[in-house]
Amino acid sequence: MDFSFKEKSIIASLGATLLIFGWYFYHVFANLTLTVNQQLNVSDLIGAVILIVILEIVIQSFIAMRNRKETEDERDKLIEIASHRNGYWTLCIGVWFLLFHLIIEGSGTRFNFYHNLIFTSPTYLAHLLLLFFVLAEVIGFVTQLYYYRKGI
Amino acid sequence: MSQQTLADKVGVTRQTVIAIEKDKYSPSLEVAFKISNVFKATLESVFNYE
Repeated sequence: MDFSFKEKSIIASLGATLLIFGWYFYHVFANLTLTVNQQLNVSDLIGAVILIVILEIVIQSFIAMRNRKETEDERDKLIEIASHRNGYWTLCIGVWFLLFHLIIEGSGTRFNFYHNLIFTSPTYLAHLLLLFFVLAEVIGFVTQLYYYRKGI
Repeated sequence: MSQQTLADKVGVTRQTVIAIEKDKYSPSLEVAFKISNVFKATLESVFNYE
């Protein structure tokens, strides 16, 4: 399959995001315990961000060296706008979900699944918000690839 | 004329020319006029609406 410079660049970003944040979220959610006082391990998060920046620089430089770089045109911009819109809606759904979650929690209403203290932990909520940010980014990359392949 | 030459003359990427040829992208009026200008033809003879 023949991929353009732009598609290779998007695939690299998607791969790096899935690899680093996939590992990070697996690590975080697998180790979350049922305590409200659990602290956010900031060093892990900073480590993941630094790692993704380094990985992106290395991979994007490698792709740029091996391919003829093409300037952006109207199609690229249109695809970018459409995929950003999809990412935005994903993020909106995530933020609304969290908002609803917090309102329910604040109102004192308790559903069965809220008996679990982990749902009230700030660490859990912060990671859930971060997860939605990353998910929005991934949806943006995937739809960008889809539009490049299938047309817009 | 190669796709790259046309792309350079019109000011788009070769991928966009390929997408237009494969009917996967409808160019803006500006690009459509530029393409027909390159071929010294009318817009209707280069593009048609289906």
